[in-house]
Amino acid sequence: MIRRSLDARGMEHPEPLEKAIAILRELDEESYLYMLHRKEPLPLLALAREHRLNHLSRCDATGVWHIIITPNTSVDLAQLLETESVPA
Amino acid sequence: MFQNSGLSLDQAPPISVVLRFFLAGSLWGIAAGAWLLLQGPSALNPAAPQGLILTHLLTLGVMLSFMLGALFQMLPVLAGIALKDPVTLAIRSQWPILFGTLLLLCAFGSGSAVLYFLAALLLGMGLLPVAWRMLQRLYRLRDHSASSRGMGFALYNLLLLVLLGFWMVALLGGWTFRGDLLALRQVHLGLGLLGWIALLIVSVSFQVIEMFYVTPPYPKSYARCLPSLVTGLLTLEFVAVLNLPAMQPWIESLAALLVGIHALLTLRRLSQRQRPLADATVWFWRIGMGTLATAMLLWIVGDFTTLSIAWSETLYTLYAAFALSVVFAMAYKIVPFLTWFHLNAQGYFNAPMMHEVIHPRYAIRHLSIHLTTLFTALFAAWTTPELWHLTGALLLFSFAWIALAIYRAWHRYLEVQASGEKFEFPSMT
Repeated sequence: MIRRSLDARGMEHPEPLEKAIAILRELDEESYLYMLHRKEPLPLLALAREHRLNHLSRCDATGVWHIIITPNTSVDLAQLLETESVPA
Repeated sequence: MFQNSGLSLDQAPPISVVLRFFLAGSLWGIAAGAWLLLQGPSALNPAAPQGLILTHLLTLGVMLSFMLGALFQMLPVLAGIALKDPVTLAIRSQWPILFGTLLLLCAFGSGSAVLYFLAALLLGMGLLPVAWRMLQRLYRLRDHSASSRGMGFALYNLLLLVLLGFWMVALLGGWTFRGDLLALRQVHLGLGLLGWIALLIVSVSFQVIEMFYVTPPYPKSYARCLPSLVTGLLTLEFVAVLNLPAMQPWIESLAALLVGIHALLTLRRLSQRQRPLADATVWFWRIGMGTLATAMLLWIVGDFTTLSIAWSETLYTLYAAFALSVVFAMAYKIVPFLTWFHLNAQGYFNAPMMHEVIHPRYAIRHLSIHLTTLFTALFAAWTTPELWHLTGALLLFSFAWIALAIYRAWHRYLEVQASGEKFEFPSMT
């Protein structure tokens, strides 16, 4: 699957949401959004739920949130998240 | 940490709820500017009807409108509370508040007992149900953030403020002679300026400063305790005024000190932003916190000495500058965001980007107008009182500026909705 990355850790509100929505609009079955954020992006996740997008969010030991969103229902998001490494 | 679903179309109020309050607040601001332009220095005399009118144009008109609009938006976002039928609730509060405020202003001017009565009735009808409903929902929340807890205390202070206002109106209208109006006025000031306006802004800042500007968070126990401490002190002040008047200045000064400390801490937080470049909203916050800290210092001095007219007018100006700075900071963030978010979430292709709703340069120009107004007012307090007329003109211009921005955002929103071209988010199959 093609990864669309977004490191929002240093972005001021509402830039993370703005950029994430722009990516979400372009996703297809073969692509996913992988996002890093310093907070759980609740508005984005609510939007994903409303539009029935497959999504998962987890907080790591350093307090960084890892978020995956895709229209693809067959992919195991937990496994996909495990394989992701934190971008530099 | 709040466990709500955040800002979703289900929970967030329609954009019209927020914009109607913001636009109303701007129009009240234009009225306040016009009043100051016409009345000049007499509008700064707190004992005179002209002074009461200006103060309540700013507090009941401007600040209440913006703060209620912000609460309708912030309760879902910061506390996960979705108010049932927010449009009806907003309309049922806004119209009685509008007419109640107008009648109160007329009552100040005429001294008419009938007008005082009608004003109190309408303001009560407008304020009490909405404040009570919001407070009830906050009270029932199981897990509070510092912001949601603080909003609850601010609303509690608003309710006390309204009840105290009724008592004062009863005294002014001659229906009771129980109570010392001057003493009650002091408590009314403290509750209104520290317990309601400042405390709501403080509470919202706990999350908004970090979220908007990527700053380190406020210390957790500090944020948890500050609103309850301020509220406790103001409640104690109410008791002291009735039973132990000598304690009143000490108690009120403590509350002012706590608010002043928060202003300084917020300035420190803003200096720790990750991004070196500051937009207009950062500067509005900086001006707001700087003027608040200075105002609180003057407030404490004024609690133990009699301030000269110049110092009193300086305190008034600085406090107004704080409140309006934060209002503008929040409006320039909230209005573009809501316009963009609601249209995007509804799936419109041609939803404008946030900088297309209100361009950052527009906000920077407003910053210049705002600073010019502030310095003109300070100059008026210390040199030529006739400059208050100019201050009024600048204040009018400042609010016309933001009113135009809000109106244009609303117009753009309706335009995009009317164009009807939507995209579909790729959804699960």
